[in-house]
Amino acid sequence: MEYATQHRATEQAIQHRFDPYADNGGTILAIAGEDFCVVAGDTRQSEGYSINSRYAPKVFKMKNNVVLANSGFHADGVTLTKRLNQRIEWYRHAHEKDMSAPAFAQMLATTLYGRRFFPYYSFCIVGRGMVYGYDPVGSYERYQCRAAGSAQNLVQPFLDSQITLNGQKDAQPTPLSLADVLCIVKDAFTSATERDIYTGDYIELHIITREGVETQLHPLKKD
Amino acid sequence: MVGKNCVAIASDKRLGMQAMTISTEFPKVFPATERTYYGLAGLATDVQTMSELLRFKVNMYKMREERTIQPKTFAHMLSSTLYERRFGPYFTEPVVAGLDDKNRPFICAMDLIGCINFAKDFVVCGTASPNLYGMCESLWEPDLEPEDLFETISQALISAVDRDALSGWGAVVHVITPERVVTRTLKTRQAVCLC
Amino acid sequence: MSDRYNFSLTTFSPAGKLGQIEHALQAVSQGVTSVGIRANNGVVIATEKKSATPLIDDTTIEKVSLICDNVGLVYSGMGPDARVLVNKARKEAQKYKRVYGENPPAMVLVREIANIMQEYTQSGGVRPFGVSLLVAGFDERGPSLYQVDPSGTYFAWKASAIGKNMINAKTFLEKRFNDELELEDAVHTAILTLKEGFEGEMTENNIEIGVIGGGDVAVQREAGTAVQFHRLSPVEVKDYLANIA
Repeated sequence: MEYATQHRATEQAIQHRFDPYADNGGTILAIAGEDFCVVAGDTRQSEGYSINSRYAPKVFKMKNNVVLANSGFHADGVTLTKRLNQRIEWYRHAHEKDMSAPAFAQMLATTLYGRRFFPYYSFCIVGRGMVYGYDPVGSYERYQCRAAGSAQNLVQPFLDSQITLNGQKDAQPTPLSLADVLCIVKDAFTSATERDIYTGDYIELHIITREGVETQLHPLKKD
Repeated sequence: MVGKNCVAIASDKRLGMQAMTISTEFPKVFPATERTYYGLAGLATDVQTMSELLRFKVNMYKMREERTIQPKTFAHMLSSTLYERRFGPYFTEPVVAGLDDKNRPFICAMDLIGCINFAKDFVVCGTASPNLYGMCESLWEPDLEPEDLFETISQALISAVDRDALSGWGAVVHVITPERVVTRTLKTRQAVCLC
Repeated sequence: MSDRYNFSLTTFSPAGKLGQIEHALQAVSQGVTSVGIRANNGVVIATEKKSATPLIDDTTIEKVSLICDNVGLVYSGMGPDARVLVNKARKEAQKYKRVYGENPPAMVLVREIANIMQEYTQSGGVRPFGVSLLVAGFDERGPSLYQVDPSGTYFAWKASAIGKNMINAKTFLEKRFNDELELEDAVHTAILTLKEGFEGEMTENNIEIGVIGGGDVAVQREAGTAVQFHRLSPVEVKDYLANIA
């Protein structure tokens, strides 16, 4: 009897799971000014507690002079950017003109929604004159300023207070100069770097004006 | 938040159960002594029980030692009170702010089992803490005078709670100076979320 | 027989006295003399350290004990009882430090010790401690000297003596003490007081001294350097003795 009770089935089904996503951290933001627009992101790429790269840009100038920033899963961001650039090119061949910013914004939304059930894990912000912010499946909205990524919680309230003058009843909203906006962007990233381990190394800034797109690189803390 | 010979402590006034707002006049900051205040974020019943327990302990201390408890001592007492319940904790995260007997500012925050964070600039806790970290890290600067400190902590709190669906419905700010404690209430967005 | 001894737990006599406590005080007054003086910038406590036979290695005897950084004590009476009290006092000090993150004020610690001693006058199966203590402390209120008796009674003193020669010693202290006394002078006075009833020659090996404070205490406290109780080494004691002679 004893032998019989000891003999029990121990086999269990071995489960495999396909997990094609990673979170590579990083923070992006965009601010629309009167006649300019700034899109910025840090350049750190990390996975868990390791840093993969100190310079892995996640803000890209597209072929139609729109600037696209994406944070989340880096590979998805890069792929998405490639596909969008391709679509911009095809658009030019078909229509003999550059795609406008609103058109690009709408196209990005449909591209993202096209992958509704296997999404690009990418939080996008688009800037050129105006700023658009997205969720990974294409829900989007126009903003004056927008932050996304690992330090979104830290940066967004700061932008609210500095750009939209949230909570300052008597303050007159005067148009911000480019210099002011650049200061705010740098402050936002310096602060985010202090408290968010996924943000740091460099800020890559894209300043979009009528003349075109200028790129700047500023150092951040590397610890 | 620490200023020049002064400290400030602030909280919002919302009490909620998950997304449901129960009360919009729920104080979370209490005086321990005339110059030491503490705030408790977390489970409402524990916030109230802790504040009663601490009032008892502070009064006992005062009678036993014939002196007023200093903010640092108070923080240690609070910390060990929390750690006594290491495996069945009070669900509260406290912050302490006060001036000691030589008018030196003192602030600290701790987790729900009493691990203290002594900071020299600012401390935060609660559901909006990432937002508050972002705000304080950007707005705070050393040696703020009481009025500037009030403005800084208020703006930090307003913008932070406006981006947190679980916080808001007004705020209370106390600025503690060697001469007096100034308490003001702030109006923030009177709504649950920003959408 | 039953007049002289009392084997039950501490009970009141019809005259309203607790015999065991009186006996404990008797034990104290048979112990060697200890003195304590509170100076304006510190406290000194001192005692004799006589061993019954020269064969005992008297360098190992310690009658002045550190309780925590800012409190020390000396006893007259039964050594083993004192040892138990010292252990309990140290534990109380650490318990306080554990809760408040700082050393206990002398007054608080003295009260804890006194409470323990009182408990031993009212509990079953125990007897009172056969010791009196002189507790030297230094805290934010300045230097302080307390005497604690077997009954649990305690008082703060400017200067006090306990043990065999306490009456003479106190008379001596009454004459010598003044409010301007500094710690250095207080140490001298303490030695002189002990010398009053001392049998044989006083050397650095048969007295023991503990001090706390000294120097410009206000400056030290402002700088945040803690005031530390410490026992004087035989070399230091020898210097003091040389100055007196």
